[in-house]
Amino acid sequence: MPRTPFLPHLGARVMPVLLVVLAAVIFVLDTITNFEIAVAVLYVAIVLIAVQHLGRRRVVMVAAGCMALTVLSFALTRTGSVTSGLINCAISLVAIGVTTYLALRAAAAEAAAREAQTQLAHITRVTMLGELMASIAHELNQPLTAIVLNGNATLRWLAARPANPDEAGKAAQRIVRDAERATDLIKRLRGLTRRAANKAIWLDVNQVVADTLTLVQHEAVRNNIALRTELDDDLPLLQADPVQIQQVVLNLALNAFEAVVGGKERDVTLTTGPGKPGEIIVAVSDSGRGLDSVQPDRIFDAFYTTKPEGLGMGLAISRSIVESHGGRIWAEPAMPRGASFFFSLPTGRTKARGSGQ
Amino acid sequence: MSGLASSDSGQIVFVIDDDPAILEALDSLLRSVGLDVSCFGSVAAFLDAPRPDIPSCLVLDVRLPGKSGMDFQKELAGSQAPLPVIIMTGHGDIAMSVQAMKAGAIDFLPKPFREQDLLDAIAAALDKDRSRRAHMAELDALRARLATLSDGERDVVAQVVLGRLNKQIAGDLGVSEITVKVRRARAMRKMQAGSLPELVKMIDRLAAESSARGH
Ligand SMILES: Nc1ncnc2c1ncn2[C@@H]1O[C@H](COP(=O)(O)OP(=O)(O)O)[C@@H](O)[C@H]1O
Ligand SMILES: [Mg+2]
Repeated sequence: MPRTPFLPHLGARVMPVLLVVLAAVIFVLDTITNFEIAVAVLYVAIVLIAVQHLGRRRVVMVAAGCMALTVLSFALTRTGSVTSGLINCAISLVAIGVTTYLALRAAAAEAAAREAQTQLAHITRVTMLGELMASIAHELNQPLTAIVLNGNATLRWLAARPANPDEAGKAAQRIVRDAERATDLIKRLRGLTRRAANKAIWLDVNQVVADTLTLVQHEAVRNNIALRTELDDDLPLLQADPVQIQQVVLNLALNAFEAVVGGKERDVTLTTGPGKPGEIIVAVSDSGRGLDSVQPDRIFDAFYTTKPEGLGMGLAISRSIVESHGGRIWAEPAMPRGASFFFSLPTGRTKARGSGQ
Repeated sequence: MSGLASSDSGQIVFVIDDDPAILEALDSLLRSVGLDVSCFGSVAAFLDAPRPDIPSCLVLDVRLPGKSGMDFQKELAGSQAPLPVIIMTGHGDIAMSVQAMKAGAIDFLPKPFREQDLLDAIAAALDKDRSRRAHMAELDALRARLATLSDGERDVVAQVVLGRLNKQIAGDLGVSEITVKVRRARAMRKMQAGSLPELVKMIDRLAAESSARGH
């Protein structure tokens, strides 16, 4: 299960205060109770909370502080048997130490797993695309080749002396037939995307955004990007394919990352909110290089890219997904700098949600 | 235009592709420039059909059911009568084209290709097969002429080719120098060699050919 809070700013400010208050309470309890009661074991809770929110070094510092407090309250406690006090003190110290060690290891493993997942998401996206493109290219190539050859043949039969209208006619008929074959192929592709969109379920768009964040959180941290969310809690559910919507958010988020990396201000904000009546809007805004150097009417085209290693398919696929869900996708310059990408999704026949209507 | 001799039925283009639409189109296009064409849906079908003994070439799709075009091309290149091959591919990747060219393909055409590229490649392939055939025919003729030499004439020719003098040859074979001269003159007439160097060249070619076959 992913850990819940995506509020690093709130967390960074409130968490130390919370930990200090908790530590003070445990310290006081530990000191005023007699030696037989091992209140100090509760410091384990502080370590566990700290692991969720702080870096490795800080966690070790917190654990060391807890150990120091344990020893201090042993020195200050006046009531009870000193022997059991010593034993309890030792047990508490060991408990804090072991917990810290295990919790840090678990956190490291989880981080590694998450990174692997992000990479996997990248790779799957790229290889799936690559394979899809290759097989479509091959399938379309056959009728196209036949059309070109038949066209050449038609011209040659007509230019022959004497002309051969019979053969020319047959070749022209084949052109029509092969063009229909290509058209059928494209129709089938459309059907494929439509069918995929049929895997729609009732979903909470905030949940999709949160799921995507788990995938990219690590990438953001590694690139020093301040990733923020402004999620509207009062949005109705909507019917959509969660995997596809997640792919759109992922594409927009990765583009935003790529736009801010290299700059000084590295802010990326994911916002959800209501749009026109019956519509939800998801926005991904960044403080990156903006849209000045791109052709805004072309960025959603397949293979349009300004990146040396770019594929130029992210936005094209996003658009086809959003449109197959009955929504729209567009980009605007952000203030004071950067770009914002928006997409809307219709809520259609909305279902009342929890406390709401 | 293509530069191909029109309605010269003395040559034929074979085409192998598993896509009937491509076969029909190629058949029509090649006939429209006056070539004789014979189309097949697979390597097996091509091998089953009788092949006329005239200048020919093969236009081959890489991706085929059963034996792949690439494998078949290599097989052909290693055979007694190598048929010039033009490779077509639906997904022209560089590695494959390098492989095809190394195996001796005349050309490598990624679909869809320009008709002129195909016609040029076919012209080159037929030329190549025609000159190979001419070469083979010449060798056959030489071999036939060589067969008309008597044993004595053949012995003399064998020594002459080694660059030995009439006197030495006479001594070795135990005949007079006159006899050697007479046999040599008769051998040159039968072989239709205008000069001694020409005779030497003919024998060299036959020797090179038979040692190439020995492999
Ligand atoms: N957040 C953004 N800021 C600035 N330009 C962007 C942003 N997102 C996309 N673009 C532009 O749109 C182009 C197409 O994006 P995309 O379809 O995702 O392909 P790719 O990322 O492979 O280039 C990018 O190359 C870039 O020029
Ligand atoms: Mg992209």
